[in-house]
Amino acid sequence: MGNDVEELITSALSAAAASLVAPGDWLTGDQRRAAATQVLDARTNELDEERRQAISPHAVPGGHTATDELSAEAVEVVHRIASDPGRLTRSWADQVIAVLGEEAYTELVGVAACAMVLDTFSWAMQDNEASFGSANQGLPTNERPEDVGDVGAWVSQSTGSGMANVSRSLSLVPVTNSAWVGLVQAMYSRGPGFLDLEWDRALSRPQVELVAARTTAELECFY
Amino acid sequence: MLLGASGEKAGLTVDLDVAIDPSKSGDAGVPSGEELLAFASAANRRSETLPQARAALEAVVGPEGLLEAAATVAIFNGLVRVADGTGIQLDPSMLTSTADTRAALGLDLFNGAANSEGAPTEPRQDGTGVMSMFS
Repeated sequence: MGNDVEELITSALSAAAASLVAPGDWLTGDQRRAAATQVLDARTNELDEERRQAISPHAVPGGHTATDELSAEAVEVVHRIASDPGRLTRSWADQVIAVLGEEAYTELVGVAACAMVLDTFSWAMQDNEASFGSANQGLPTNERPEDVGDVGAWVSQSTGSGMANVSRSLSLVPVTNSAWVGLVQAMYSRGPGFLDLEWDRALSRPQVELVAARTTAELECFY
Repeated sequence: MLLGASGEKAGLTVDLDVAIDPSKSGDAGVPSGEELLAFASAANRRSETLPQARAALEAVVGPEGLLEAAATVAIFNGLVRVADGTGIQLDPSMLTSTADTRAALGLDLFNGAANSEGAPTEPRQDGTGVMSMFS
């Protein structure tokens, strides 16, 4: 096996795992770890399963409850992101953002996404779920970037950026974004070579994109 | 829609319908496509068939190919959630270039399509479109 590729991916996964238990942008290490753990719970959670089977997730009464680390709204966000991302709506997002603030909401999205990457990779390679280490103490940065604004998404993002929208989607929360971009670079794009439609990898570009297409279809993602 | 473009570049006739529809069988016109699709669906669903799908895929693409496939399934599980969770719009170049394909495949029926209603279609002056993603 190409050790370079394996090391690249392993290193990015390790960095992301460390980030999930460390203080972030607006959440503490305890809160980020708790959110990541909720992602694992969403796979078998009865309420999430009931919502997935319903014609609309909003047709199912009840909601997730607060934990020692997270408010009920924060738990709700993580479970919806993890269990049923294809049926999120702007009105739902606006409601939870009004309670959490757009920075904390965006950080929860990023934490859930990173945790899902770790968990999916673990299942794909070894048939078991991801595990997270103990939380690190310390304070989040509590810094909002200056160059963010409305670019048409539900949350503020970098303005004047030449990047595609998906590349700047977590730019409101730089600490979270750093771990996220590390994962994307290692596991998919790998720098300027992304621009080439032919890849010199163990899988050809069409083979990688075939797996990507099936994955996004399974999750009913329009983007 | 990089599947279609990269497939065309490689001289393949890619069947996008098979690629995105788990109820359809076949290789979608891509080498080892049947094993790749079976693995992708099984991994996404944490299916009981995952060990068999993994072994079948590794037999045809090798251990590093399996690693690349697992990495792709995993990172797109994150990309989907970031895109849907932040409500981003399709970029102008993608919005215009994929209109026919999205309509044919029924992708415009997905909830997330609402985020791109009324989105700008004129190329951004400071961007290079979809190929600027991640680079």
